[in-house]
Amino acid sequence: MSDKLKDIINKQGQQQENDGLNHSDDVVQLVGFVIGEEEYAVPILAIQEIIHPFSWTRVPQVPKYVVGVFNMRGAVIPLIDLRLKFGLPALKQGDETRFIVMRHGDDIAGFIIDRLTMAIRIKKTNIGPAPDTTNGDDTMIEGVGKQEDRIITILKVDKLLARDF
Amino acid sequence: MDEFQEILQDFLIESFELVEKLDEDLVELESNPEDLELLNGIFRVAHTVKGASSFLNFDVLTHLTHHMEDVLNKARHGELIITPDIMDVILESIDLMKALLNTIRDTSADGGIDVSECVVKLDKISGGDGKIDTPVSQAATPVEEVAPAAEETSEEDIDYDNMSPDDLEAEIERLLQERQSEDKAKREAKIAAGEEVVSLEPDEVPKEEVKPEPTPEPVVTTPVPVTPTPAPATTTAPKTDAKAAAPAKKAATVEQTIRVDVKRLDHLMNLIGELVLAKNRLIKINDDVEERYEGEEFLEELTQVVSIVSLVTTDLQIAVMKTRMLPIGKVFNKFPRMIRDLTRELNKKMELQISGEDTELDKSIVEEVGDPLVHIIRNSCDHGIEIPEVRVAAGKDETGTIKLKAYNEGNQIVIQIDDDGKGLDAEMLKAKSVEKGLITLSEADSMSDKEAFGLIFKPGFSTAATVTNVSGRGVGMDVVKTNIEKVNGMIDIESEVGVGTTMKLKIPLTLAIIQALLVGVQEEHYAIPLASVLETVRISKDEIYTVEGRSVMRLREDILSLVHIGDIFEVERILDSSEHVYVVVLGLGTSKLGLIVDSLVGQEEIVIKSLGDYLKGIEGIAGATIRGDGGVTLIVDVVALMDIARNVKSTVMTDNPSTAQITLEKSKASDYCVMIVDDSKTDRTIMRKALEPLGLTLVEAADGQEALNILKQGDNNFDAMLVDIEMPRMDGYTLATEIKKYNRYKNLPLIAVTSRTGKSDRMRGVESGMVEYITKPYSADYLASVVQRNVNFKSEFL
Repeated sequence: MSDKLKDIINKQGQQQENDGLNHSDDVVQLVGFVIGEEEYAVPILAIQEIIHPFSWTRVPQVPKYVVGVFNMRGAVIPLIDLRLKFGLPALKQGDETRFIVMRHGDDIAGFIIDRLTMAIRIKKTNIGPAPDTTNGDDTMIEGVGKQEDRIITILKVDKLLARDF
Repeated sequence: MDEFQEILQDFLIESFELVEKLDEDLVELESNPEDLELLNGIFRVAHTVKGASSFLNFDVLTHLTHHMEDVLNKARHGELIITPDIMDVILESIDLMKALLNTIRDTSADGGIDVSECVVKLDKISGGDGKIDTPVSQAATPVEEVAPAAEETSEEDIDYDNMSPDDLEAEIERLLQERQSEDKAKREAKIAAGEEVVSLEPDEVPKEEVKPEPTPEPVVTTPVPVTPTPAPATTTAPKTDAKAAAPAKKAATVEQTIRVDVKRLDHLMNLIGELVLAKNRLIKINDDVEERYEGEEFLEELTQVVSIVSLVTTDLQIAVMKTRMLPIGKVFNKFPRMIRDLTRELNKKMELQISGEDTELDKSIVEEVGDPLVHIIRNSCDHGIEIPEVRVAAGKDETGTIKLKAYNEGNQIVIQIDDDGKGLDAEMLKAKSVEKGLITLSEADSMSDKEAFGLIFKPGFSTAATVTNVSGRGVGMDVVKTNIEKVNGMIDIESEVGVGTTMKLKIPLTLAIIQALLVGVQEEHYAIPLASVLETVRISKDEIYTVEGRSVMRLREDILSLVHIGDIFEVERILDSSEHVYVVVLGLGTSKLGLIVDSLVGQEEIVIKSLGDYLKGIEGIAGATIRGDGGVTLIVDVVALMDIARNVKSTVMTDNPSTAQITLEKSKASDYCVMIVDDSKTDRTIMRKALEPLGLTLVEAADGQEALNILKQGDNNFDAMLVDIEMPRMDGYTLATEIKKYNRYKNLPLIAVTSRTGKSDRMRGVESGMVEYITKPYSADYLASVVQRNVNFKSEFL
């Protein structure tokens, strides 16, 4: 975990130097991760921590994607598998699997992701709106970030944390 | 403004506390109108509220309490005998006072309530203008004294706000002198009256009653400590004695208390909760360490520290729990008044006996039990106790008795309500329920008396022919059940027709930290609040019968319906269940249910944690707790579970054979899948080389544990396993035993490949479920043929 963090911080530092984006006002900091084939990102401030997977307890009578609850330093936190939530088939957890614990207000939950990519600094001007095909206010997509060679889907943390069953 | 708010808050808290006590006192006063101690107490309340409200400019409240005070003042001076009619007015005024206080609490102003009518009534009583029926001999004497008495009080009020302490004392002394001379006159009048008319106690008694009365008066009227001043004012020796005794007694009963915000206590309770979890963990770690480093010296020290920490934590937990405890008397206080009102309303004669009001309960629970008790007692009054004529005809005392009693029983508080009324008639209850469509005829037939008594808690059930003010709507007892179940309580009813009914509410002491029974099903654990567990029994599967599609068992003379915990919580059946199961008998309210579990793990103190907003409201789950090993265990919501159980079809008995045979049609050689378990890389390679020509899919595992994990993941459907016996972490025998536990792999051929050739080794192999025993060294052909035989390898693939 600490290695990973260091890694992220280092990368972030490099990126900062490279891009020279010091005007934090029009820059958004995101953490990127991969689920299936796609790269997604959430605002770094919404992330409470990123941890290695460990055991959890199954909870009955919930949708498949809510895999259970786990203990994070004394707090009982729901765990959501984003692969299942996004309609992808389940995959065995590997070395790169992580739990991202996100918080929005009082809502908190852990999400299983396939792997982390990096911390991303992106100019607000490079973020486009969610494509029209996603339906209205219900969309989980905050916007689409464009970087040199790739497109990152930025997710709405409050929607991720909203109970929808 | 803030200061005003603060004062207002204090005023409200104090007033509500006083008023709560008041009801009880007043009712007692009615049956014992001469009790000066009581009268003084009641007067003090009116006076305190009046003083404070005038200071806070609540004119309506002041107006009302002022008139109450007048009446009470007279009563305690013996100028007025409290008759039931006067009592009604006083009670009415107190209700108004409560209403006003509520209004003030909500709006910070005392408008909106009309007190004039009541004030007029009070005035009439204190004015003694003939409309109110008081004994003649007494009514005559006080008439002249009414005016000075009223003046006195008003005088005090005007004066002491502006007085210097010296003036004040002088004034008090003057008033005392005045009062004393009045008292003397009054006493004489009273003695005369008492002997002639009421024929009360001998004359010493009234004397004593009058004596202490000046003392409390200055204590209340002046906030400055002037209690000693009355002493010099006394003239006769016996008076001094009484006075000296009175304040001393008062000082002794004053408790040292501070008011603490409930939030702070809650926070403290949460912290203790965390500590308890940490303690549980520490104990677990200690156990592990003990196992691993048995006999080491540092162990003893560690064990000592752990036990001290655990001891102190438990004590701390109890101590904090105690700070949240309130005497149940807080709730009981309102009942004498209620019984009194009901007596008059229902034209019955009833008496309430309260005991154990000092028994303490957690604050949150005390708040929850108030309503249920109201309903139960109303029910007893209305349906239980018969009208006097019937009682006399039945040879009972004309006056019905309701006993309200609280006591500790183990980890629970029992609140018991007895009445000596007509009792519950099980047959009648059943008939009524069938009539109202709450149960079916066949259900009614199979019902025991106890279960029939439980019917009164069904929503919509009522035996009353007509809806009265008191009962008949069929909601009350339903509320009882819901509220008691909310605090994990149980209700027990015993009743005998014509003799009476006893209702016992069994309530856990606290809600946040509970004792739980941990049970296991398959690989999962659940915690069941111990308060709801009546007993656990181990039965063989033969003892489970099926009646109308539900599982039941015979528990002594009762029939207990059963439900498997796995059916409720959708637990996947991967492990093969054994011949025996455990049944946890759950009791809640009056209903019982047997919960079938695979194993009993033990009893543990657990801290209830919420599952949070995201997962709240899952049926059957009350929350979660964190165990000693850091894992999360879900807590069973027994109330909900009983509901769910009614609609769950049992699958316990049907061990699904289809899951055991997932033999898919093999279309090519690589559809056959064989696992090789051996800790030696060389051995694995030898086996692989021997089997590769067949074209099978081969999976390797380095030890038993790894093999088991691969099996659990279920990525491949294995047709056979080659197992080495001697391996680190988990040996071949253990692996075989573990594998046989899984339904799915019960019939998986296990082939031992080992250099152990002893007969006992072979025996063990067979015992643990191995089908073949190959000894190293072996020829590649032999191994291949054994595997082919065991996987039913089709010859066309060769």
